[in-house]
Amino acid sequence: MKPLFRTLGISVAALTISTAAAAKTDINQQVRAVWHQDIEAGYQNLAKQTRALAEQADSWCQEPDALNRDSVDQLWLDSFRAWQAVRFVNFGPIETDNRAWQFQFWPDPKNLIARKARYLLTSDQAPTAETIADSGVAVQGFPMAEYLLFDEQLNSTDRALPAQRTCRALVLVAGHIADNSAQQLQDWQSFEDNYVANEQYRDTTIKAGMAALEILEERRLAQPMGLRGTGKRSVYTADAWRSGQSLAAVEATVRGLQEHFLPALVLLLEGSDQPELAGRIEQQFAEVLENFPAMRTPMAPLLASDEAFARLQGLYVDISQLTTLVNDQATVALGVVRGFNSSDGD
Amino acid sequence: MMRLNRRQLLKTGAACGLTATLSGCSLLPRRAGDRPEQYTGAVGLPDGSFGVSAIDRTGQPLWQSPIATRGHSGCNRPGGQEVLFFERRPGWHFYVFDSITGARRHTIKADAGEHFVGHGVFSPDGRWLYATASRYEQGEGIITVYDAGDNYRRADTFELKGIGPHQLTLHPDGDTLVIGLGGILTHPDYDRIKLNLDTMDPALILLNRRTGKIMGRFRPTHRQQSIRHVDVSASGKIHVAYQYQGPLHETPPLLATLESGQLREYRFDNDIQTSLANYIASVIAHPENDLVAAASPVGGTAIVFDGNTGELLARAAITDCAGVQALAGGDFLISSGKGQLVRLGADNQPHELASLPVYWDHHLV
Repeated sequence: MKPLFRTLGISVAALTISTAAAAKTDINQQVRAVWHQDIEAGYQNLAKQTRALAEQADSWCQEPDALNRDSVDQLWLDSFRAWQAVRFVNFGPIETDNRAWQFQFWPDPKNLIARKARYLLTSDQAPTAETIADSGVAVQGFPMAEYLLFDEQLNSTDRALPAQRTCRALVLVAGHIADNSAQQLQDWQSFEDNYVANEQYRDTTIKAGMAALEILEERRLAQPMGLRGTGKRSVYTADAWRSGQSLAAVEATVRGLQEHFLPALVLLLEGSDQPELAGRIEQQFAEVLENFPAMRTPMAPLLASDEAFARLQGLYVDISQLTTLVNDQATVALGVVRGFNSSDGD
Repeated sequence: MMRLNRRQLLKTGAACGLTATLSGCSLLPRRAGDRPEQYTGAVGLPDGSFGVSAIDRTGQPLWQSPIATRGHSGCNRPGGQEVLFFERRPGWHFYVFDSITGARRHTIKADAGEHFVGHGVFSPDGRWLYATASRYEQGEGIITVYDAGDNYRRADTFELKGIGPHQLTLHPDGDTLVIGLGGILTHPDYDRIKLNLDTMDPALILLNRRTGKIMGRFRPTHRQQSIRHVDVSASGKIHVAYQYQGPLHETPPLLATLESGQLREYRFDNDIQTSLANYIASVIAHPENDLVAAASPVGGTAIVFDGNTGELLARAAITDCAGVQALAGGDFLISSGKGQLVRLGADNQPHELASLPVYWDHHLV
């Protein structure tokens, strides 16, 4: 809270003496202070959950008979959901060392996760922390931990957890995720002054939310639902299909946007010439989330029959409408454009 | 489903409702150089598909030819009737079109283990095509050479001894290829992830196109200033544009000129630097004067500056602007991902010439 109060204090003083333009700058600074704080809360949760996962994986692997495997699975899910909640942040320290990709290498059309896992589990040398650090982003994050915990094929072999080598890999990967989470939290805290002081992070943050919604609608739902590309339904193009948590992850992303992105966006919209959009967007977030907990179900069965598919379509339509409100309408009100070329990267 | 259909309909309706409009004057200005009557560019279409589109000076489409995936840039073949376009990085093909009809004459696949990165240039006689590419398992940047006179047979390969080449152009001496080496390692299995931001070694490379010998390698002051785009003035002055890979609140120089064996970097005032958002998508030196134009889609800003002094002469806010073309008479044409074509010159009077129902993708040729 401290930084928010500090900037608010400055802005009140400034408002009495300055022009409208200066006041707008101050309001934008306040908004960035809110964003910084809200996102920090998300990273704090990520650091907490991932540390718990790393510790529990370690404890269970040491005494697999005495402890409950389910607690490890559940902590993977809690950690993964904590990541989904802040996954939209695609700028700042998360760019360091491709940290976002380290947390979640996806999409994975060539199934590198499985290929890399085979190497981890069968190479002559047992993996070490250095192996994980040097093996690239496909090894370093949630999808690899998910593979080790949930992959059906792996679980049908004698390499299934708690096999020693597999346990070792799981503990190392979970440790890497926890270390990255702690570092990310620390770096985000250090980033505060630059983030709050620099005007361009307003648009950058809005664009991050837009990109997350677009990825959610197009790549995490429309693509596996067969509404794009080849037209074939395929759960393998969704994320977290091995654990059956694709839709739980969708929920976590939407809740994350609601908690860590929306409050400051609402402040901006309330100060724009379309203040009514704020309420409409808040309402649409609520409508999307009304699909849950009923939709916390594996995606694959929903793709298998047209009747079940209709449920998925309902969620998709709600998310499409949310995306339209934020990406088409709010951004016009706020003068932000995420363009064809500006999001390209060449 | 009703709501879904309505939304799709709204989207489509809004897109198709647009028609080509030319405002302010009835004709686009002529381009400087070859083929002054035609502009060709890769485009994205409102239905999500991709193509290559040519327009005439009235802004009307001459032809539009579909391509399977997103394109990037291309080049006109001198002395003939062909225009080439490369797929966006990682590009697995380039396409050769009849520049009059848009008919596709050739589809050339990248050799095994290689992909194109979006740019190519011809020898002055139109026989040899030089295209930047990556040997991706090894992470080696190369120049691939094709014999256009023999159905684009792969004829040679030049090593760049570096990672991540992007744009290249031909020096007016006719022999020297001027190449922007971005320094960023990517691999097609890993989407577009930048794999080596800590160890980047970007450079401007000069290479003799007849021998493949590297004649010069010039590094920016900061190793995260990725050199992507290059151009050469008629008098032989080499200009380069960077995309800075460090944090957004750092605003290092983004444009430079090769002078006395060093890159002389131009940093504009804080306001301009911020508006360029550490990302230049195109730099063009005007063939008729000393002006240079650059465009930043991320910052939504295009600028014109004096290529000798670095003095800023014009600045325009153009949403998603990326492509720059020199116009006959001394001005520039800026194209945008919103379909806009804007004239910008030293008089600093930006003028929207046309708005078309396509997303212009980066470079017009």
